Amino acid sequence: MASLPDTQTLLKAIEPFLTRRADETDVSRAGIRLLSEKTGMTERAVMAELLSRDLWPERFSRCRGAFSAQSLSRLLSARILVAGCGGLGGHVAELLARMGAGNLVLCDPDRFEESNLNRQHFCTEKTLGRLKAEACREGLLELASYMNVEAHAVALDESNLPSLLRGVDAVMDCLDSVARKKMLEHEAEKAGVPCVQGSVARNEGLALFDSSFALPFSRVYPGEVSGNLEGTAMNTHVLTVAGTATLMVSLLMRWLCMNKNDGGKLFHLDLSIPELEPLSFSV
Amino acid sequence: MSILIKLSTTLRDMVPGYDPETGLSVSLENGEESVTAGDLAARIGIPLEEIKIIMINSRQSELDSVVHDGDRVAYFPAVGGG
Repeated sequence: MASLPDTQTLLKAIEPFLTRRADETDVSRAGIRLLSEKTGMTERAVMAELLSRDLWPERFSRCRGAFSAQSLSRLLSARILVAGCGGLGGHVAELLARMGAGNLVLCDPDRFEESNLNRQHFCTEKTLGRLKAEACREGLLELASYMNVEAHAVALDESNLPSLLRGVDAVMDCLDSVARKKMLEHEAEKAGVPCVQGSVARNEGLALFDSSFALPFSRVYPGEVSGNLEGTAMNTHVLTVAGTATLMVSLLMRWLCMNKNDGGKLFHLDLSIPELEPLSFSV
Repeated sequence: MSILIKLSTTLRDMVPGYDPETGLSVSLENGEESVTAGDLAARIGIPLEEIKIIMINSRQSELDSVVHDGDRVAYFPAVGGG
């Protein structure tokens, strides 16, 4: 299996691609690409290895102080399924890419339409009519070409989730109905994959992640909640989806990168006030 | 003393003049020491079938949970948008 040389040899080989400040060393994209070509390792693997030696890819250097190199290395190696690439899903995918996620599986059967322009990250006048999952994949690769991104233009259900969830470390639930979210949670539970849930309506968003109890979202909604609500009930805008997506990615990173569990908490973001309130749901 | 009611998203449409910043203050009726969350919702005109999550003092509760003077009660419909 390919690996990087010892740190002293490595630094010498990529000296022109280093930026040094006090005890900090950053490696530029060109340096990472060179190491990938020389060793046959993927750029993701090179970056994960560099981070494990506290050598930071320059693109992540401004995360210093907020996250450890080890944390970012974990995110680079994780495989995350994003269920839905619309409002929440598009923002979640973009945030994950900027934070350094290495492997994403994007699932959405829909195409962008004009009414999505007010909130969906990868919906632009140029991408109208395109499959959301594919446009999202292309946008992510423009941002981070080293990423491994799969796009599946499928509606998630009990028949395709078992195979899509194989090898996945976490699911970001960005689906658009309570009933479908419950279905996803049940399938993820069967596959042993934890789910970060998010949902939005108007000026409000809800987010939760609890890996210590089975089916936390179903505990929040114990009764039957069927179908999509109609009319203006689920209308929303970019402030709500961007804020809620940020909460979701933050909850994921606290668990995946920092081993923290926000069990039993349902975060309620209300931008009409604005306030963020942690609520306790039944466990 | 009174009970502070907070409404989420579509439930706000059901109470004319509802202000999300202040919520809604409801006083218990003469001689009452408590009321159920369901009765309280009915008093302000919220159909019980629209309520999917109830939080009393930020803790998940049910329609028959008891609300006391000074409590804060939040009602949510199904919030399922993505």
